[in-house]
Amino acid sequence: MQVVRRIFKLNLMLSFSKYGFVLASLLLPVLLSAQHCDLSIKGHISDRSTGIALSYSGVYNINTEDGVIADSLGNFLLENLCSGVHRLRITHIGCETREVTVSLQNDTTINIYLDHHAELLNEVVVHGKSENNTAQVSNTIKMDEIHLEGNKNLADIIEKIQGVSILKTGSGISKPVIHGMYGNRVTILNNGIAQSGQQWGNDHSPEIDPFVANHISVVKGASSLLYSSNSLGGVILVEPSPVPIDPVLSGFVNYIFQTNGRGQTLNASLARHGNWAAWRVMGTLKFSGDAKSPDYYLTNTGKQEANLAIQLEKELFKNCNSTLYYSMYNTNIGILRGSHIGNTSDLEEALSREEPFFTGDKFSFSIASPHQEVHHHLLKFESRYIFSENQSVTFKYGGQIDVRKEYDVRRGGRSDIPALSLWQNNQFIQTTYEHLFAHNFTLKTALQFDYTDNANDPETGILPLIPDYRSYTGSYLVILKKKLNKLLYEIGARYDLKKIHVWSITHELPRTIDIRDNLYHNYSLSTGAVYEFAELVKANLDLGYVLRSPEVNELYSFGLHQGVSGIEIGNPDLNPEKSLKLVFSADWNLGKSVFLQTLGYFQNIEDYIYLQPQSEFELTIRGAFPVFEYEQTNAQILGSDLLCSFEPIQQMKIILKYSVLKGTNTKEDIPLVYMPPNNGSGTFTYNIKDQGKWRNNSVSVEGEYFAKQKNYLEGQDYLPPPDGYFLLNMRFFTSVLLKNKNTLKLSIEAENLLNKKYRSYMNRQRYFADDLGRNIMFKVSYIF
Amino acid sequence: MKNKLYFIVIMAVILSVLNSCKKDDPVIPNEEEVITTLIYTLTPSQGGTPKVLKFQDLDGDGGNAPVISTDTLDANTIYTGQLELLNEQETPADTTTNEIRDENQEHQFFFDESTNLNITVNYNDTDPDGNPVGIENILTTGEASSGTLTIILRHQPDKFATGVSQGDITNAGGETDIQVEFDVIIQ
Repeated sequence: MQVVRRIFKLNLMLSFSKYGFVLASLLLPVLLSAQHCDLSIKGHISDRSTGIALSYSGVYNINTEDGVIADSLGNFLLENLCSGVHRLRITHIGCETREVTVSLQNDTTINIYLDHHAELLNEVVVHGKSENNTAQVSNTIKMDEIHLEGNKNLADIIEKIQGVSILKTGSGISKPVIHGMYGNRVTILNNGIAQSGQQWGNDHSPEIDPFVANHISVVKGASSLLYSSNSLGGVILVEPSPVPIDPVLSGFVNYIFQTNGRGQTLNASLARHGNWAAWRVMGTLKFSGDAKSPDYYLTNTGKQEANLAIQLEKELFKNCNSTLYYSMYNTNIGILRGSHIGNTSDLEEALSREEPFFTGDKFSFSIASPHQEVHHHLLKFESRYIFSENQSVTFKYGGQIDVRKEYDVRRGGRSDIPALSLWQNNQFIQTTYEHLFAHNFTLKTALQFDYTDNANDPETGILPLIPDYRSYTGSYLVILKKKLNKLLYEIGARYDLKKIHVWSITHELPRTIDIRDNLYHNYSLSTGAVYEFAELVKANLDLGYVLRSPEVNELYSFGLHQGVSGIEIGNPDLNPEKSLKLVFSADWNLGKSVFLQTLGYFQNIEDYIYLQPQSEFELTIRGAFPVFEYEQTNAQILGSDLLCSFEPIQQMKIILKYSVLKGTNTKEDIPLVYMPPNNGSGTFTYNIKDQGKWRNNSVSVEGEYFAKQKNYLEGQDYLPPPDGYFLLNMRFFTSVLLKNKNTLKLSIEAENLLNKKYRSYMNRQRYFADDLGRNIMFKVSYIF
Repeated sequence: MKNKLYFIVIMAVILSVLNSCKKDDPVIPNEEEVITTLIYTLTPSQGGTPKVLKFQDLDGDGGNAPVISTDTLDANTIYTGQLELLNEQETPADTTTNEIRDENQEHQFFFDESTNLNITVNYNDTDPDGNPVGIENILTTGEASSGTLTIILRHQPDKFATGVSQGDITNAGGETDIQVEFDVIIQ
């Protein structure tokens, strides 16, 4: 029993059969002297929360460099093993990859439980395909890819996922857009905690270092709505992995150099399963200078970033595993100097220019005003207590502090004083109870409380656009899930009670404080079903109805929004948005080499909140400004994501993607602005056979096409949408297996290889400058 | 069940902590950078009562509309013009013109008269580079006419760009700090 206790301590979730045997004493034993090479490991792999067997999981023996695929019932058998320590890596799409160390002396049987990324129906749909088809593509970005793309922002990385686009402000700032929804309507769960910050600003990037993630997935369907009442569009899950069960120090180092902006990225992670606790420390440093469009430098678009994350895992008492996680994100982002404008005539002048004002003829690393300085801290504690075979309680706490300072070009030496200075404190607690009943029936219920305190620092000397506020949200949710042969269905409901307490400063003289309260009752309902017609076809239907309360910027903004050169006025009487979203998708496994994913969605939003330009102008000492007021209408979004991947021969893989989307303001029958244009891409990958130590060699070529946004009415924006464009990207990849079993990965990648001059509709800098020119990246990754 | 109790206690503690901290009223920022008032004083070079064009928006952007007042100018007259910028939210009013003078290489006024208005404005001051600033200027009226005069203050213009030192704003760039339009009548 001593052994069993130790295993729990290791958070292994391994249980042994009655005939189970000695496992991993933490010494790397030199038992190899008396070798028997006829031993076997028999195992069963299942989902920890539902207990459902995970079919076709991959089991890889790191020592023998040999692997098997589990059968449809989650069973596997590794044979002809020598006695000694074996490290097994268990993978299943949609699950945390686990490494398990087995000290083998006799034939052994083990049960392995994997954690799903999130217990969402959608996840099951997205990932639960039989893995014997190598052509499949998932909606998750895995660690290998994150490490390769780690020099970019989080949103730029997940843009690779179908149905996801990005809203950019220059090259340094990007927000994810899911099926046309962004900002307040998309929730990002960083390590299970909803990212808090200044989501309202289109020029505010999510404050997350992508390197912390083991995988990033996007959940587009309705069931995601249950994670947060705001997620009309979907949820982005940024999930770090548990510390590997490895008594030896392990980790990785990544280094990336990019020619455009002469940027360098260095990231390192160290982890160890020590006696006292399992721990991981990770740090990232990034810096780059002025980016370059094909014809000129984008002056003042440098960026600096420094991040740190610490993770501790320990079994506090029996059957109760706890994780403590802290992460810090610091950045300083330069904003294109020529995009800073004082009034509408400056804007008009900037729009008419080929090359932006203030374009320097030399490259520079310096960052001057306008720029943004952002600091984000997250402290998370999670404790899961399993009190019987089929019941557990999870307690989660998340505390976040977000400090944002934005600097403008100001008179009288005030450029060093922020023009916007916000401090936000967010506290979140959740308790979840899960019960797995007989017949694959799961109940999950949770109670959440969320508190946000947002304050403006008066150091700015400028009346704040967003007032000080506090918000309190209490939520309760229930999810029921059942698996019946080939059908898996889920029903969920959620209720939120939200109070916003606002302290706004009057715009009339003398200035006084105006205190206002808003109270909202929201509910959400969702249901979904997955049906596997045969091994070949899987269909998923997902339906959700959700209410989103207006956010404080929509209710109480007042003042000049510099970036958009307009006066924004909130409306305290806004009603919650009511969204109905239907997603239907079908996955087709056509033979071993062809995979087809078709997804269609329809979303109807009643009382859709948007900024409506008013007919009158507001006269100020800087001239007349257009006035935008938050108003409500009805909106509809209709779209489809198509994906086809096939392997004509074994070493070759072709992936084709296409996304279409149309957003309409149905009350006035006009297009919705800032909806991603239709786009498609094709990737051709050729895998070159392993050459001795050189493994996984590949060459890939990608072509991306973005159409012109034609769903636009003259005069809806300052400029009509730019023309469509085609970009060519290329990547060479190889990895070297070193003597000590460590891996060195090398790659060279080129983006916009043809140095194409273009402007993207979804980049707000398009009013002022061309988008990025050619960028060549050299990447090295060392894993030990 | 001990553990359930443990969770409840933690929740209760957090809730009570959150509830107990009262938020102070926000501090109203001291808007020292705001320009509320532009006064354009035109003194006839032959002597006489100065004419005044004034734009005043005491509560800044938004809120109440600005108040604009003008005087009728005399035809065929040379006026010595002086611009004064004030922040009247401060007491006593802050003279922003001083800041402009201190940073005169980074600022320049531009005068844009509608074609039907018989006015020319010439600069009457220079910064250390020998480029104009425009705080001091000379306004010359022609025959009786009426139209608009727009006064623009640019921050960080390219003063060396073509035409900028002659008062042509086309290549100036920079940000607009002031742009006010006066209806002017010359009699």
